[in-house]
Amino acid sequence: MSDEELLRIEGLCTRFFTENGQVNAVENLDLTIDEGEVMGIVGESGSGKSVTALSLIDLVESPGRITDGRIWFRAPDIADELIESGADDEVTDGDFVDLRKLSEEQRRSLRGSRFSTIFQDPMSSFNPSITVGEQIAEAVEVQRRARANPRSLDAKAQRYGLGDYVLSTVLPSKKYVTGASRDRAVELLELVGIPDPVERADEYPHEYSGGMLQRAMIAQALAGEPEVLVADEPTTALDVTIQAQILDLLSKLQAETGMTILLITHNLGVIARMCDRVGVMYAGEIVERGTLEDVFDHPVHPYTRGLLGSVPDLEGAGGRLQPIPGNVPSLLDHEMPDRCYFADRCPKAMDECLEHPPAFDVEGSEYHTTKCYLATTEYTEEKALPDGYFDEAGRAADVGEEPSETETGIGTGTDSETETETEADSVQSDGGEPR
Amino acid sequence: MGLGKFLVKRTLQGLFVIWGVVTVVFLLRHLTPGNPVNTLLPPEASQEQRELFAERLGLNDPVHIQYYDYLVGVAQGDFGVSMATGRPASELILIRLPATIELAVAATVVAVVIAIPLGVISARRRHEPSDYGATIFSLVGISTPNFWLGVMLIIFVAVQFGPLPTGGRGPSFVDAMIATLTQGQFRDGGIVEWGRYILLPAITLGTYFTALLTRLTRSGMVDEIGKAYVKATRAKGLPETLVLYKHVLRNTLIPIITVLGLQLGTLIGGAVITEEVFAWPGLGRFLIHSIYQRDWVLIQGTIIVIGVGFVIVNIVVDALYVYLNPKVDLE
Repeated sequence: MSDEELLRIEGLCTRFFTENGQVNAVENLDLTIDEGEVMGIVGESGSGKSVTALSLIDLVESPGRITDGRIWFRAPDIADELIESGADDEVTDGDFVDLRKLSEEQRRSLRGSRFSTIFQDPMSSFNPSITVGEQIAEAVEVQRRARANPRSLDAKAQRYGLGDYVLSTVLPSKKYVTGASRDRAVELLELVGIPDPVERADEYPHEYSGGMLQRAMIAQALAGEPEVLVADEPTTALDVTIQAQILDLLSKLQAETGMTILLITHNLGVIARMCDRVGVMYAGEIVERGTLEDVFDHPVHPYTRGLLGSVPDLEGAGGRLQPIPGNVPSLLDHEMPDRCYFADRCPKAMDECLEHPPAFDVEGSEYHTTKCYLATTEYTEEKALPDGYFDEAGRAADVGEEPSETETGIGTGTDSETETETEADSVQSDGGEPR
Repeated sequence: MGLGKFLVKRTLQGLFVIWGVVTVVFLLRHLTPGNPVNTLLPPEASQEQRELFAERLGLNDPVHIQYYDYLVGVAQGDFGVSMATGRPASELILIRLPATIELAVAATVVAVVIAIPLGVISARRRHEPSDYGATIFSLVGISTPNFWLGVMLIIFVAVQFGPLPTGGRGPSFVDAMIATLTQGQFRDGGIVEWGRYILLPAITLGTYFTALLTRLTRSGMVDEIGKAYVKATRAKGLPETLVLYKHVLRNTLIPIITVLGLQLGTLIGGAVITEEVFAWPGLGRFLIHSIYQRDWVLIQGTIIVIGVGFVIVNIVVDALYVYLNPKVDLE
């Protein structure tokens, strides 16, 4: 593991513009990832982990959009090329390129080759009517064509139009996927430990088991020999024994290829097993980050402590688990208070928490920071906010509105489901003056 | 199950269906009032002549004997002799069959070529002007009666602009292809001339179908585009054209093929109005004229041929399902 930065995310904001209002799925997120490390992001459902991953690979779908921030990616070759073509400091910074400033085509050319993704549910992440081998071969082919055309970013984003596709249905020589790519797909299947890869390559996804298919997805992600592998809940849909196998496979492949992994999960066990560093996400921001040791052994943020307290401990079995009370807050913009987002669930909420905390450095490694006033202030009984403070404060703030019962923010996907009434709605339903 | 075995099984089932069609067609004649003898012979024919005529048509035999004879005849491709012209019905029907098939296929091709890209664009740019345009087009297309559309095309296109004829049929497709390929002849008797005649009827017949397919494609694509594998496919860096056409459209095709099959079956028999408007010498027009003439032999024969067409199209559609959806087994 080298200590060189590979990715530097600054102030990333990803928002969803829904009928119920603006949802701040990712809010002002800073993150750096070093080359060759395994970076973990952990948090409850709806904390914005998956949206962070999608933002990174530019696959946030409507009504979502990255609204602000920069995603600096170290790619000297691209930086040189951009500087030659007259790009300014806005786009490049030394060897780094701001991915958000690239064109759509250029960003697509990075997918697969620099960034690969493993998705949560392998069963739904393969096209059911195309063989697994063919789908992996496509990923190989994307990269083969990109390498055959090394001159410029634009050339790499190969154009394959409707005309080519229509022709390919008649002329085998026009087919997108070549025989060489198919052979490589079989090799990849073998690499991830699928028995009889030649036969399995010609089978369809429904003929695979979940674990097998997740292996196949890893094979597909490896097709382009990516620098960064984004693994979005790679083991969540699998049963426990298979989970361990998949994690072992990922570790082994990471050791062999030296690729960087961004691992997104809600499972602290997975983090402990895989990661070098970890960021804890809550309500769209990283509330604490540090090395594995910092976060697991010296957590500062009460949310991190809460997460650790909800993990079953076999050695101290018998004691009850300590769940974190309450739910992930609404991420609707107009319902997000200007305070620490966790304060209403925090056992140590105090006067300071009514102001949104910046990131404080805390003891441990130099990377250990937290967005919590406990880093600087000692918690005392006098400062504590009274019990039920936020219930009343919430009511006081929402005059004329029904008590907010929002529990859903963002799901693991990109669809946001919010069940709140907007203010305009409630004004009308209260019989307000027609406008 | 292999494809061969599947085809044999479906062909046997199809024969059973056709037997049903033949039976119904045969019974219809006996359930309909009116004696063919009285219809066909002039009123002044003598009783003797009438009996002789009935004898020749086999009308004096018991019904089950007539049925047996008819079945045996149909099995051998003999639909009887046209009452009006005295020529074999099978011959009269078969010379009109190519015209109908050509028109049905041309209308389908027009529909598929326009509707599928339109539906894809519409689904991809949901709630943008091009989507609204496609939606309006399909609404108008579905609600336009094709007899009106045909007449309008004749008045405003054929009459105003010389090259497109107002009706009739040029050379057959096969002849036109042969002329073009062997003699390099495009215009006279070639493929261009064939196209000139078939263009307006194909548009007329295909418009409703185009509109229907556009809507089906759009809604199918919208459902499919939201699925997780689409995102995974994009994450691979695959060109968007392939994502949309190779992956998404392919899975959308299953319901489209179903409708395509049903419609193509209908087009074989149901091009009646379009054929009439454009004086297209196909089966639909032939059927109408046979009905006017009460030529029962021709009516029966035509309906049976249309039934066979339906059965064949359906077998092909079922075979296509298997190709499109690997989860479907040939059963």
